[in-house]
Parts: sequence; structure tokens; C-alpha cells
Amino acid sequence: MMKQLFSLVTIAVVFVFMGTSFGQTPGTGITGSDHDFSSSGWSGGEICIVCHTPHHADNTVSDAPLWNHEVTTATFTPYSSSTLNATVGQPDGVSKLCLSCHDGTVAIDNFGGTTNGSNMINGNELIGTDLSDDHPVSFTYDATLASADGGVYDPTTANSGLGSTIDSDMLTDNKLQCSSCHDVHNGPGAADKLLVMSNANSALCLTCHNK
Amino acid sequence: MNRKKLFLTLIFILCPIFLLAQGLINSKHNLSVSGQSLAKSGGESDMCRFCHTTHISRPKPAQWRRNDTGQNYILYNSSTIQALPGQPTGSSLLCLSCHDGTIALSSSETSLAANSLSMMRNKANLTTDLSDDHPISFTYNSTLALRNTELTDPAFLPHSIELENQKVQCTSCHDPHNQTYDYFLSVSYQYSELCIQCHQMDNWNFSAHKISNATWKGFGRSPWFHTPYKTVEENGCENCHNPHGAESHDRLLNFIREEDNCLICHNGSVASTDIRAMQNKPFAHNVYTYNQIHDPAEENIVRIKHVECSDCHNPHSSKKLRTRPPLAEGSIKDVKGVDTNGNPVEKIRFQYELCYRCHSESAVKPGSPTSRQIEQSNVRLEFDLGNPSYHPIEGSGKNTNVPSLILPRTESSIIYCTNCHSSDGVRSPAGPHGSIYPHILKFRYETTDFTPESYQSYELCYQCHNRGIILNSMETYSQKIHRKHIVDENTPCNVCHDPHGISSAQGNALNHSYLINFDIRVVSEDPVTGKLEFNTLGKFTGSCYLRCHGKNHSPETY
Repeated sequence: MMKQLFSLVTIAVVFVFMGTSFGQTPGTGITGSDHDFSSSGWSGGEICIVCHTPHHADNTVSDAPLWNHEVTTATFTPYSSSTLNATVGQPDGVSKLCLSCHDGTVAIDNFGGTTNGSNMINGNELIGTDLSDDHPVSFTYDATLASADGGVYDPTTANSGLGSTIDSDMLTDNKLQCSSCHDVHNGPGAADKLLVMSNANSALCLTCHNK
Repeated sequence: MNRKKLFLTLIFILCPIFLLAQGLINSKHNLSVSGQSLAKSGGESDMCRFCHTTHISRPKPAQWRRNDTGQNYILYNSSTIQALPGQPTGSSLLCLSCHDGTIALSSSETSLAANSLSMMRNKANLTTDLSDDHPISFTYNSTLALRNTELTDPAFLPHSIELENQKVQCTSCHDPHNQTYDYFLSVSYQYSELCIQCHQMDNWNFSAHKISNATWKGFGRSPWFHTPYKTVEENGCENCHNPHGAESHDRLLNFIREEDNCLICHNGSVASTDIRAMQNKPFAHNVYTYNQIHDPAEENIVRIKHVECSDCHNPHSSKKLRTRPPLAEGSIKDVKGVDTNGNPVEKIRFQYELCYRCHSESAVKPGSPTSRQIEQSNVRLEFDLGNPSYHPIEGSGKNTNVPSLILPRTESSIIYCTNCHSSDGVRSPAGPHGSIYPHILKFRYETTDFTPESYQSYELCYQCHNRGIILNSMETYSQKIHRKHIVDENTPCNVCHDPHGISSAQGNALNHSYLINFDIRVVSEDPVTGKLEFNTLGKFTGSCYLRCHGKNHSPETY
């Protein structure tokens, strides 16, 4: 009986975590991922350099990790809703770095001091400067918010499914950022669309949303 | 690690996902492959994406994936609504992008065609006609609560009732992510807990419809076809109202015919009395005769002839409470009326004020049944305390010496209109619903000349006036007046007495004390003196000038 049950569960788990691949293999690291531009002529065959530099990094954005890409100066329209308890302002931190390509105002190849790049982001990856139709980012997600909202878990105690709490695994300085859902480097565990985990059965959404 | 441990570990890892998502996963809104309802996808496992997207949503709020319906909706309206519902906005528009039945469930920004789901069906399809649904997308603020005093001030609404930018939306009553309560309701609708968060009807908490634990006895149609509840108190508002798909659009009543909403229970199948049976009697306030004329916003003085249950009863306040005349009983609590001076009152104090809605200044009131010396069909004028005589409806009577009265009634007693006018039959429900006797009289009251006297012929009068004293006592008024006329001449009481009263504008104390106002079909002018007149000469004495049954009184004095 136990054996049959085990088999059933195993099959179920395989189905649950079976993702569809879009040109990159989820969880296999940045090499070969959508963020690997080494095959583009403008990258000089390097991967990391488009975003990072070991020296003379741009530190205008706080917590920017040795930043090497031109930073966006756009003013964004943040998400708002009558039922939103969080306070959402202009994108900051990691999110601002992501938007430095994904808002479509800065060329992807504007890095290392280059400002005359011509490769603009397009397609589904172009988020634009109007963030009102996107999940909010750069807002403080703490126990107070969870209590006020009633529809999201307390990040300081809720399990992230990634080993520890939401706060510890998914937030930066208690803030939700693009990196809360996306693993830009396609690290181990990353799923489709560089998600930090598979969203099969809405698992990623339901990590925070108590629905 | 053996298999058992691995199994338990897997369960442990998966548990949080499923446990935390109990609400949506087990609900009908889980359209994903793991859903439990008939409408579900063949392959998509992400249940959020049927409605939401994380990027490039439309319309913009709420991370919405579905298309705007683009429909023009027919809106709820009623003659009593204070709110101003507009075309659906906000989250209501989002709900309607499935629930108006114009867009397939699977039709979203990203094609889910492979998991194609059909249109919304049955009761969940509200259609684009929202006039039979509770209004939405209207501003519900303190100003509205001041205009409609039966609404809670929204500042005091519980957290579970969400307003969106001060507006009531679908999400005020429904939590689309949580099916803890039927229909994804935010609060249970048992005992109408949900409704009463906003709707605070005056005196509802003490009303029979709020507190009765009566059940349906199983005959006729079940009155509770849209709830699982089995008692009046559990059904609460939904005894009569249906928040979606109501047959009667304004005020969202279960049935289009006004009386059906009441008589489905008040036919003995739930309520102990059978009002419906009373309607079939030849003389009735027959509510089946009129349709779509009554309007709760109508004037106190009824302009277009009709009668509906709610003309006399307020189902939000009505309760079992007996009172003393002339005070209004519990069954007619909080209804409109007209006071003794002919002024409208929003909530009657006295029973007669209710009757005056139709039987006083109303142009459609019934006429006087007997042709008399003095004609008056306005009963308010007939019962006025300034009159020379009247039956004691508004206050004690004029005559301080009425030997026939049966105790506990005395000369200072006050009676109800319904002491005379109500359904006949010992076990009939109280009130003037229907009778086998004309004018909805509770007992027989013969008015035809030459009726042989019997207890039965004048059973109505003999309820209060002792037949033995009237006919057989040694007093003058018995021997010379009543016995002589009623028994010897077979003349009905009604020929000499006008049972309501004689207006002071038309009559005087000399000629019209003791309710004297002759029936001119029987009594005519005395040819000798040319007079048709009664004169009181004091206690039990008087004289009459008239001609009756071929005999001239020129005068006759007693």
C-alpha cells in the first residue's frame, strides 16, 4: 500500500514540477540563460560585464552589486489600487537595476561607460515606465503590512519554500523587489521566466498571497 | 532514506502549498487542472492566471489578465433607492468579465485555448441585465447613510465588508478567493448576517421575520428555494428578497406578484394562519386584484385604488404584539397612515390611522353602503371626537349611559376598527383580510328591511350590546323603542343607526345623538309636518318626525 502511494506521489511531484523550456534550461546557471549575452557582438563575449564590474562600480543605487550598466533615470508610474495596503513609490534598489534594461529607456548595451548603445529591449520583456499594470515592487513587506492587509502572510514567519522565511529568502531590506520573484542568474532552483521557484499550482503566488 | 521517510518528507514539503491555499484551491474559482468543479482547465496548473498576471495587466488595477467586457449594463433601480448606481466599475467590472456571460472563462490575454472553458452558465451568469441584482458601483458614504437611515454608517462596517474607493462592488459581499461561505460570501448569509452589516432596518431585530423559528410544513412551494436554510429566522432577508436574479427587480423580491412574496408562507405552510384562504372570501381586501400599482414611495393618502399586503404590514417590523385600542398592534407596526387631522404620518401610532389611508381623504375610497339623511364616506370625519355621536374608535364615546354594554366594555371603552371589520370565523386570523359578510364584517349584520330579528341577524351588534337588555329589559328604550322596531316591525338596527358616526360638519347633538341618521331607503319625510327628524329629549326620551312602514310619526314621542 505504502509503495503504491509512494509511486502515485512521485508521479504527481514529477508532473507538478515539470516545466516547459523556452530556450534556456531553468536552474542551470546564467550561462546559456536569457541573460547570457556573450554571443552578442556588443558584449565582447563576456557574460557578467553587461551588469557588473569588479572595479570602479557605479554606486548611485544603494546596495547595487558592483554595478556596471547605465542606470535608468525615468520616472515611473507605480502600481496602485483601492485595496492595496502597501505604500508603493518609485522603484529603488535591485528593481531599479532591472528596469535599467527592462523599462526600454536605456539600451541593453549601455554598460561600462557606453551610452550610445542601440539594442533596446522589446517584446514581452519590455515592461516600460508604466508600472501600473505590473505587480508592485520596492515596497516594504513586513509583519505590519501583513496584518493590515489580511491577505498576505507575515514574511517574518511564513515559509518561503526556499529554505527559510519570505523575509529572509525573498526580500531585500524588508522590501519586495523584482528579485523576490525572479532569479536573474538562473541559479539552482530557478524555474521558467527565471522565477525563483516553479509557479505550478500557483506555488510562487501563494507563497505570499493567502488565497 | 527509506521510502516511507521520503514519502513523509515530500508530504511535508508540499503541505504548506496546499494547506495555505485551501481557500482558492478547493473553491469553484480554481479553474486549474486541480479544480473540483465542472469548469476547469485540462492542463493549466496555475490557478491565479485565469484572472491575474504579474506584468502588463488590463485593465490596470489588480494585476488583471481578462479583457474588459465593453458591455453596457442595465442597472438596478427602484423608486426608493437613494444611492446612484452607475455602470459597473472597479473590481465589479472584473467579476463581470466572466459573470455577465459574454466572455468565455478561458478567454484571457494569453491564450488558454488548449484548456478552453466555456461561457458562464446558470445562476452564476448574471447576464448584462443587472436590474435584478443588488446594485453595485455606487458610492456608499456617510451622506448616503444619512439619507437612508436604514443603512449603517460605512465608518462602522466590519473589515470583512470592503468598499472600494467608498463604492460597493461585488467584492463588498463576495471574496472571490475564499469559498468558506456559499457563493464566496464575505460573511455567512445564515440569519442574513451579511445583509445586516449594511441594512439596519428599523425594528428588524424584534420582528417576527427575524426571530421566528417556524419551518416549512412541506405543502405548496418551498419558500426557501435559493438558500439551504430551513427556518424563517435563518433565512432572514431571503424569506422575501433574492440578491441576484430576483423575479421582481425593484427591491429584489422573490416574486413579481407582490402578494406571492407573503402568501407563499402565510398560507399555513410556514405561518400558523392562512391569510391566503381569506382572500378567496367574497368580501376581502383582495390583494390578488391588483398588480404593480402599489409602490412603497406612494403617498400616505392612496391615490390609485389598490391593496397589497405591504400597504398594511411592514415585513421588517411586523411582530406578534397585542395592544389596547386605539394603539396599533405589532402586526401593523411601522406602516404609513393618516392622522385624525388628515395629516400624513410615516409610522402610525393608532390602528385607525392605517385605515384612514384609503377610507378618509382618498378619492378612491368606497362609498357609503346605506343612503342616509346625512351622507359621509370619509370615515375620519365620521369618527371625529367632536361629532355629536360616533362609535368609540379614536376615543371614548359621547353617550355616557349605554345600559346594553357587555362587560368589560363600558361607556369609556375604545374599540378598534377591526372589532367589527375583520375576517369572519372563530379561528380566522385577526384583521380585515376577508369575510363572508359584506364590508368585511366579522359577524352577520343584516341591513335589509323586514329582517326577522334573531341573535344571528345582528350577531355583530350583539357582541357588545346585550340582546336581552336591548329587547327585553323594562327600560323605555327597550320596550318602546328597540323591541317595537327590531322585533315587532322587523327593522334592522342599521335603519335608524349609522354605525360609524355623524360628522359635526353635517349633524348636531339635538338631531344626531346616539348615532341616529336614518336610512332613507326605508324612512321618509313625515307628510304631515314635512319633517324627517329625530330630536333627543334627554335620557331615553326623544321624538321622531318621519314616515316608516306606512306609519306617520308626526311626531312620535317616547
